[in-house]
Amino acid sequence: MAKLWVVIKREYLERVRTKWFIIATIFGPLFFGSIMIVPGYISARTVRDSKIGNLRILDATGTGLGARVAAKMAVSQQALGSATHVITLTNAALSEAESSATLAVMQKRDQGYLVLDSTTLTRLRARYAGSNASALGETQAVENAVRQALLQSRLEQAGIDPRRVDSLSNVRVNMSVEKIDEKGRGGSGMASALFGFAIAFLLYFSIIFYGQNIMSGVLDEKTSRVSEVVLSSVGPDTLLAGKVLGVGAVGLTQQIAWIGSTALVWKFRAAVMTKLGVPVVSITLPPIGIGMLLLLVAYFVLGYLLYASLFAAVGAISGDQQEARQAAAPITMMLVAAMVFAQPVMFAPTSTLAKVVSLIPVTAPVIMPLRMSATQVPALEIALSLAGVALACAAAIWASARIYRVGLLMTGKRPSLQELARWIRYH
Amino acid sequence: MTDLALDIRGISKRYAEHTAVRSLSLAVPTGAVYGLLGPNGAGKTTSIRMILNIIAPDTGTVTLLGRPNTDPGILDQIGYLPEERGLYKKMQVYRVLRFLAELKGVGAKEADRRIHQWMERFDLTTASKDWGLAKLEELSRGMQQKVQFIGTLIHDPDLVILDEPFSGLDPINAQALKDTVVELKKRGKTVIFSTHLMDNAERLCDSVCIIARGEKVLDGTVSGVKAEHGGNTVALSVGAGGTEVLAEVLAKLLADHAMIEKVDDSNRFFEIRLRSGADPQALLRTIVAAGVPVQRFELVQPSLHQIFLEKVGATGVEPGMSGHG
Repeated sequence: MAKLWVVIKREYLERVRTKWFIIATIFGPLFFGSIMIVPGYISARTVRDSKIGNLRILDATGTGLGARVAAKMAVSQQALGSATHVITLTNAALSEAESSATLAVMQKRDQGYLVLDSTTLTRLRARYAGSNASALGETQAVENAVRQALLQSRLEQAGIDPRRVDSLSNVRVNMSVEKIDEKGRGGSGMASALFGFAIAFLLYFSIIFYGQNIMSGVLDEKTSRVSEVVLSSVGPDTLLAGKVLGVGAVGLTQQIAWIGSTALVWKFRAAVMTKLGVPVVSITLPPIGIGMLLLLVAYFVLGYLLYASLFAAVGAISGDQQEARQAAAPITMMLVAAMVFAQPVMFAPTSTLAKVVSLIPVTAPVIMPLRMSATQVPALEIALSLAGVALACAAAIWASARIYRVGLLMTGKRPSLQELARWIRYH
Repeated sequence: MTDLALDIRGISKRYAEHTAVRSLSLAVPTGAVYGLLGPNGAGKTTSIRMILNIIAPDTGTVTLLGRPNTDPGILDQIGYLPEERGLYKKMQVYRVLRFLAELKGVGAKEADRRIHQWMERFDLTTASKDWGLAKLEELSRGMQQKVQFIGTLIHDPDLVILDEPFSGLDPINAQALKDTVVELKKRGKTVIFSTHLMDNAERLCDSVCIIARGEKVLDGTVSGVKAEHGGNTVALSVGAGGTEVLAEVLAKLLADHAMIEKVDDSNRFFEIRLRSGADPQALLRTIVAAGVPVQRFELVQPSLHQIFLEKVGATGVEPGMSGHG
């Protein structure tokens, strides 16, 4: 086993020392970090430039409701530096005031105006007009402010101590959204679907990237003839295992570095965004339990081993890079197929298609984690799919090791499928 | 402890299309320099790979330094230089050598010490330049050969196996290799090398084995092999103007099937093999009587090259595979 360790060490250190590894490992988190912060920053900048929230409130209720609304707005829009202007007036003066408010919006002095009249208190009606009427988030914020102001005034009318009204009415509900379609409980919201897709993509990317890395490593050893020197010290199985484990460790190192620094960025994201003057938009990620995490790791490890050994075999039977790329095409296609199915599965994680492709061993390592983050997958299906991948993995390692030990010393023409079958039967 | 460094008993290797090695047995005594001779395609490399357990023989056993070659750790005492050479091109020289040393079970510290010794000995580390810090691909071909050679010997093996070690070497490296082989022998190590260059084998080897078409043709000590095939070869050179007359005489004798079997014109002299039982003195008289001005008439041992051609030719070596380097 000492020799296995020597091989792993070489494969690991020689890759970790390369420039691309260092660059990718450093720039990965910067990239992910900017994905999390930059869009918020840019949209906040855009929002600030459009002076959202320069509001005019036409209050004809005679109860000071407009002032309450303005107070609520001020709290929620403080960061934007907007101003809310309250005009108290009678019902009769309302239409004229509306005309001038409309003009103000048309001339872009204001973003919009809010009308509160006698019906607001009795029938809970309010009107809003503005250039941002189609911006759902912004009109909702206005609506919220009105609702809270109304609630406060109603509570006070009901004889509750004004000092307690504030604390009683200041209720924020964090509601998670879950979609239900004709097939029953479907995907949880968009965020978790995207999260699942991101995980699937990360698995796909890692498997294909490090798998091909192994392929070119094997090919390099074969064409440079160094394999014969190494094989006079260690068996081909040890060499193959060391290569797969060493490169796998490189992949894990990179992912741990990425995930770790992404988590750090995530943790300080709020602080950073506040510093940049960006409102912190809360993104709720689906909670990942330890069980889910273990399953994800299991799928990555098995999927990686499955494809890495196949890629290694391709490297061993090829004579140069071009030949290897051609021979690797069927294997790459299996992975690409998994990614092609990713989108339909993401939107219908309980469909028959989703079930089938998450059970097929060659697509399962990418698709099942995606499904699991999108919906509740029955334990039996997970067990079946994992067992299938494990079996395929064992078969691939077994066959690849045999192809590898013969192919590594072969020169000349690439073997035909019949010849490969014969190599596998060799012992 | 056995006094055989390598003991091969009846190994065979069949591939789908052909038999690469057929029931080969060899015994190499400890401390010998042993030549494995044969034309290209004779099965030398396949045999060596079986010795090193890189490929498994279909039948037969290989014993290295008294232990089966499948024993864990036994390969740590063997150094191997393959015919097709190459190392990790993108790796730093020091790291390649440390990797090879560690693969053979040498600790990192000890490996570094030995690497520096070898690097200095082969002029790869000088006051002005330390090639050990360079990547292998930055080195010249000759330097890369030296690095590969260091890698073969870095773990101080008891048995060194070199597959066609002289092919592609420049004269300086070839000399360095020869010197190293002699030094290894002095230190009691065993060296086995395959070659089709008979001159090298004749100069360096204590014992040889000639194989052709996957089978052993003959083996033994160089002196023994020569003695066995000697005693009936005459080296003959003649003075100015005598060559044509001599050629006539020899052609006639060959045609008669009486006295001589084979004539090889080596330019500066003729190597003539007598028929068994023929009297060299009778040949000399015949030639002198024909008026040939004889300058040299000497009973000699045949060269390994002659023996090789004779034996391998007899088993039917294919044209173009005379084995002469």
